[in-house]
Amino acid sequence: MLNPVQIETYSALANELIPAAEGMPSASEADVPTTWINTALGYRPDLVEAFLRSIDSCRGEVPARALENLNANDTEAFDALGVLTSGAYFLNPGVKELLGYPGQLPVPAHDDTETYLEILERVVDRGPIYRASVST
Amino acid sequence: MSNAHLIQKPRPETADVLVIGAGASGSVAVRELVQQGFSVVCLEQGDWTPATEFTGDKPEWELSRQKQWHPNPNVRQNPSDYSVNTDDSDVNPLMFNAVGGSTILYAAHWCRALPSDFQVRTQDGVADDWPFSYEDLLPFYQEIERDMAVSGLAGNTAYPDGGGYPLPPLPIGKYGHKAASGMDKLGWHWWPGNNSIASKAVGHRAQCLRYGACLTGCPAGAKASTDLTHWPYALELGAHLVTGARVSEVTVNAEGLATGANYVDREGNEQHQKAKVVVLAGNGIGTPRLLLLSKSSAHPDGLANSSGLVGKRLMMHPYAAVVGTYEDELESWLGPAGQSIESMEFYETDASRGFVRGAKWNVMPTGGPLGMRAGYGGRPIEESFGVNFHRNVKTVLGKSFEWGIIAEDLPDENNQIVLDSINVDSDGIPIPELHYKSSENTSRLIDFHVDRAVEAHEAAGATTISVTKLMRDCGWHLLGTARMGDDSSTSVVDQFGRAHDCPNLYVIDGSVFVTSSGVNPTATIMANALRSMRHLAETHTDQKTAN
Repeated sequence: MLNPVQIETYSALANELIPAAEGMPSASEADVPTTWINTALGYRPDLVEAFLRSIDSCRGEVPARALENLNANDTEAFDALGVLTSGAYFLNPGVKELLGYPGQLPVPAHDDTETYLEILERVVDRGPIYRASVST
Repeated sequence: MSNAHLIQKPRPETADVLVIGAGASGSVAVRELVQQGFSVVCLEQGDWTPATEFTGDKPEWELSRQKQWHPNPNVRQNPSDYSVNTDDSDVNPLMFNAVGGSTILYAAHWCRALPSDFQVRTQDGVADDWPFSYEDLLPFYQEIERDMAVSGLAGNTAYPDGGGYPLPPLPIGKYGHKAASGMDKLGWHWWPGNNSIASKAVGHRAQCLRYGACLTGCPAGAKASTDLTHWPYALELGAHLVTGARVSEVTVNAEGLATGANYVDREGNEQHQKAKVVVLAGNGIGTPRLLLLSKSSAHPDGLANSSGLVGKRLMMHPYAAVVGTYEDELESWLGPAGQSIESMEFYETDASRGFVRGAKWNVMPTGGPLGMRAGYGGRPIEESFGVNFHRNVKTVLGKSFEWGIIAEDLPDENNQIVLDSINVDSDGIPIPELHYKSSENTSRLIDFHVDRAVEAHEAAGATTISVTKLMRDCGWHLLGTARMGDDSSTSVVDQFGRAHDCPNLYVIDGSVFVTSSGVNPTATIMANALRSMRHLAETHTDQKTAN
């Protein structure tokens, strides 16, 4: 869980990375700093240290400039910030709905051979394309 | 899965056969030999991976695939993994240590090699022929395809008639149709992909539920990983499986015959398993590593290494990805992944292209919105974030697919595995060190194929096309590091995997490949393992042992 100071810093960074645009909400509007980042951190404990370092190093700075500095000077921390913020954003069901992405849901496989047999027949009509074994 | 219900006989002090590695080839060996009445012990450094552990049906899937379920052991760093020094390699090796081995994470593209793949010297004048033919291996392909319950459509014009498949093909989906439409316009070969993924429930496997998560373990239990296809039967028949057992050395007697193996158990204790015959099935990196670790007065350069070829001729199939995006909704997060369709249009050698050999192409889905996004650091922020974050996702998600190109790389003794002189794994055993560079022939091959794949996307109506000519994380296919052959001065094992220098030692994984072919090798690895082990069983009365 991030403390209030960390949330404040992180919110500014997250909104710089993911602003409201193209009909999509910003990171804060999608509850990333308050909810989903904690879930994401739980899934990726290996990134916690670098993520917290990214926030600490950007505290009190103008977000855009802070991110540029982080990207230039601590790529590991920037990577952790980018992956976790993006991953947290896509955990929000409302975001997935806006994207038309249902997530990974079970869809039983069905045989769709009939839908392509006509064009596959043209492959068959062109004949074999392999080289046969030769006697040695 | 749990096998607690099985009441096993006590593990034999001396096994008829000790198999090292419980992956694709080791599973075949254990099942075949125990069926034939041998006492078999298998040492596996990994453990079981129940389907409930896989994240493909859970919200964390895309985040966990970049770490916990990443195919690169150097990224994953599980306790059962050993690191691989890749400082001098163009490509990272990908593998998984578990009951089922890398079949837990493989994409399950099921491809036989072609007749010409076994005659590269004869037909193309380069590299070497295999010591047997496609026709010799065909009955073993067919038998393994039944064991793995492969889903596919017979009649592929890229292959000789080899019969049908046990299950009907999986759906090619909207993205498969889109790709096929481009190939149709160009008059190029395509065929619905064969996959070792169950289109219908069969044996211990469920029907495919089209999670696009095959590469992180199948949560439905539909993919043919050998923990499902082979081990339940082998255990019921009395095979002995020791998990958490990392082998450090194959032991030999004064004559140089194998006597068993030393291993470190899960508690860190050193143990020894005696055996009359030892079978190595540790993949194209693990097996040469173990051979090189097993030096003795009888084998001063490493076990079975009088030819000096142990660890050399490493082949890893450089992989190029050509991704097209389309205006149409293609549902390209849907699996299986898995190959939707394949093409062998440019597989066979055409000297006018300026290179020899070729590549299989396969269409794969592109997953969810996070994808394999990582490594943002150091690139301009506006490329991936800000307004472009949304634009990129909306452009690609569900509207793109990949033509993947599996480039055959020819054997080169400079591409090799040696033991790292400094770094060790968690049990203090030297890790392998890779030296691997892509050749000029491969570069020309990839350039040609990428250009054709771009044309295939254009013909299908792609709006944008992006090319990755060599994916660094592509080394799934670990081949050639203990090659087979008839001449003991130019090969490590004979055509049945028996070591020239040590007649009660066999190698049956991808290490024995003479050349790499340009297709996914699991079918050939498993068919060859079956052929080798059946020969071992049939000739066991003549088998020389140390005891």
